[in-house]
Amino acid sequence: MRVTKGAQIIAGTALLALAVAACGGGGGGSTGSSPGATTGASDAPVRMEIGEPQKLFYPSDTTETEGAEVLAALFSPLVSYNENKEVVNEVAQSIETEDNKVWTIKLKPGYTWHNGEKLIAQNYVDAWNFASNQENVQSASYFFGRIAGYADLNPGEGKTPSTKEMSGLKAVDDLTLEVTLSKPFSQFPVMLGYTAFYPLPKAAFGPDGKVTEEFAAKPIGQGQFSIDKPYGKGTDQTIDLTRYDAFAGAKPKFSKLQFKIYTSTETAYNDLRGGELDIIDQLAASSISSAKSDLGERYIEQPDAGIGYIGFPLKYNKEYENVKVREAIAMAIDRKTIAEKVFSGTRAPADDFINPAIAGYKQGACTVCIFDPAKAKEVYTAANGPKKLELGYNADGGHKEWIEAVAINLRASLGIEVTVKPFEKFQAILDELDAKKYTGMFRMGWAIDYPSPENYLTPIFSTEAAKTGSNYAGYSSKEFDDLLVKGDTAETPEAGLEAYRQAADVLNKELPYVPVYFYKINAGYSEHLKSVKINLLNQVEWESVEKA
Amino acid sequence: MSDIRPAGPLDPETQQSEALDQVAPATVPDTAQPGVPPSAQPKTKKKDGKPASLWTDAWYDLRRRPLFIGSAIMIFILVVMAIFPQLFTSVNPYDAATCQLIDARTPPSAGHLFGQDNQGCDVFAKTIYGARVSIMVGVTTMIVTALFGGLLGLIAGFRSGATDVILSRTTEIFFAIPLILGALLILVIFGRGNVWTVMLALSVLAWPMTFRIMRASVITAKNQDYVMAARALGAGAGRIMFRHILPNALAPVIVIAMINLGGFIAAEAALSYLGVGIQSPEISWGLMIADARDRFLEAWHPLIFPSIFLSITVLAFIMLGDAVRDALDPKLR
Repeated sequence: MRVTKGAQIIAGTALLALAVAACGGGGGGSTGSSPGATTGASDAPVRMEIGEPQKLFYPSDTTETEGAEVLAALFSPLVSYNENKEVVNEVAQSIETEDNKVWTIKLKPGYTWHNGEKLIAQNYVDAWNFASNQENVQSASYFFGRIAGYADLNPGEGKTPSTKEMSGLKAVDDLTLEVTLSKPFSQFPVMLGYTAFYPLPKAAFGPDGKVTEEFAAKPIGQGQFSIDKPYGKGTDQTIDLTRYDAFAGAKPKFSKLQFKIYTSTETAYNDLRGGELDIIDQLAASSISSAKSDLGERYIEQPDAGIGYIGFPLKYNKEYENVKVREAIAMAIDRKTIAEKVFSGTRAPADDFINPAIAGYKQGACTVCIFDPAKAKEVYTAANGPKKLELGYNADGGHKEWIEAVAINLRASLGIEVTVKPFEKFQAILDELDAKKYTGMFRMGWAIDYPSPENYLTPIFSTEAAKTGSNYAGYSSKEFDDLLVKGDTAETPEAGLEAYRQAADVLNKELPYVPVYFYKINAGYSEHLKSVKINLLNQVEWESVEKA
Repeated sequence: MSDIRPAGPLDPETQQSEALDQVAPATVPDTAQPGVPPSAQPKTKKKDGKPASLWTDAWYDLRRRPLFIGSAIMIFILVVMAIFPQLFTSVNPYDAATCQLIDARTPPSAGHLFGQDNQGCDVFAKTIYGARVSIMVGVTTMIVTALFGGLLGLIAGFRSGATDVILSRTTEIFFAIPLILGALLILVIFGRGNVWTVMLALSVLAWPMTFRIMRASVITAKNQDYVMAARALGAGAGRIMFRHILPNALAPVIVIAMINLGGFIAAEAALSYLGVGIQSPEISWGLMIADARDRFLEAWHPLIFPSIFLSITVLAFIMLGDAVRDALDPKLR
């Protein structure tokens, strides 16, 4: 589950004062004395900003972006995604299936671990079995839920799994992996690019068959870079990597990479301008306007696959039952002005349940997601909507301003009373929704796990997700569920896409949530670099990075 | 908060003459009483033969103080602003339609004197309407703490003994809780804050201050000769407390209440700023400052104008308190 709380933004604003102080203090030192600032030196590292990783580097326990960024430099995935949002093979030679249920993955020969061992199919089996076993409490475990035998490793709390291996995983030979799913899923190859699906070498496992902490601090990967020394979480301010020259894939054009840990993206931006940093992958909203003018060509703006919504507690509050009420609310929100004024252009107004960064998006699919206060009022009055609405949000994610803006929109357009209710933490609002205690509208966000339109649908709106997933609206529609099954079992990816598109259109009509904005990536790089590319998973493609 | 000397006898001569007037109307005021030292004999004030009381003296004194006149005028304007904000602005900031997000952060202009805030609302109108919450919280908290703390202080000081010990120790418990931290806790328990919860939270924690001042000044007043005299003449406890001690112990309580009022207004702003006090869509200066803080570098005006109003209001009440204290404290004359 990757519902987003938007912590990065709040970290930016809360530490504004600190950032200003740091700027003032660092000014003297940054002009020349630091060896890192020497432009063009061939072994000077490329330096990138990250936030502190939440955990040590266990691939299957990293569900946040910062740790994933480091892991992406150390490991190479089976598949990646190109500019046309298509899946392209990376470590995989081919991924084939007859029935969307049994998948044969062949690996390219020549890949080796940083310790010299050969990469074999068994490495994937070991890693995925470890990730799925409930005893290992890996936060990305649910990704493996579609593989046959997952239930055996997850018998439920308090019970011990009867086996350590999933029946659906088999290493046929060194380069062939056979995966059997419990039921057909046409999007399976799309999932394989995600962090949780990285393999693990033999050296990762201790005598008890678990990944050691030692390994997690200094992981041995099979990717573009190897890590120089164990990462001391909490004390280390940088993570230093060196190019792995025996890497079989596309190699980066520079030899040293350094991740610098920041608590404020404003500070990082000041460092970037001062020549102390090279890449920032998400600028704070307050830095955007100056970044545009300061960086010029070196400012990157591209769609990011997240969506921000306003949700309705359909399951237990009858007030929102009438779809006309929800339509009126959708029409009453001025998305364009909010994206422009509140987010300074770091968001785009949403008009579909699928993000434009992902195949399957249809422009203007949500016909009522267009600001029309007069019509909204008319529809709302005709539907006899409630005179008083409440709108809840989590106060720890920098959401106050846009939620206030939405509240003002609703008050002005619908002529009703709207109160805004802050929850201290994101977890608090989720808990109240789970317990069916909170009856107001709520803010919700979604960042994708893998770039398939299916990821915007099943985990958030399927009937099943109301029990185990992130379906906080409690939405349930037979038509929608059927279309998902149709997509999952489709024979070709195109047919699958078509079915998901129809499913998304059901949502556009029935509006269990109202889409408000699409996220954007606002990144920038220093004059020490010539080019930087950021992929759909919001990770830098290191082979694209060139020094100036 | 400026310090207040524990009240000594305030102009004993006048008080005594008054007290005696009340206790023994039969006696002639200008003859010396048996047992009263000559120095304490009432001096009859001139001017149409009417004896000047502490209050008339203080009023006479106040009217000549620029500090008092200045702060009184400011407070008068602020109070009018709080009661009739529509006299100052034709825009009603509670009407969401007056906010134009598209014009967010527009700097001050002729149409919007103080510019527009992050939501495109008129800062001038919001600042004017914001006075109401501040003044309401300040004044109600002051009245509640003065009545409650004052009453308990009067009882504790007058009764002494076990009553005094129990009340004083209880007070010390409350006194030990820092105002803002304690109020934060209370408001979090209440959930959604509004004018009344903020008032309650501040009152619960602020009354001990009034209590202490009142108790101290009652203890001093209690031992004055005129109280002895009243007692000797057979006056009851209630009568002594309310007719003789209270009027003479009241001055320092009024002073502390006035000065505290400014503090309460500042505390309300602080609590709203922290997000536990007044909640949107209610308008409060603290809330406006909090909303404007993140984008201060982009737009200064939504933060600066409410801040100025807040500072002026707090200052005005503290200055008024200072002026009243100077007028009521004979030692400074």
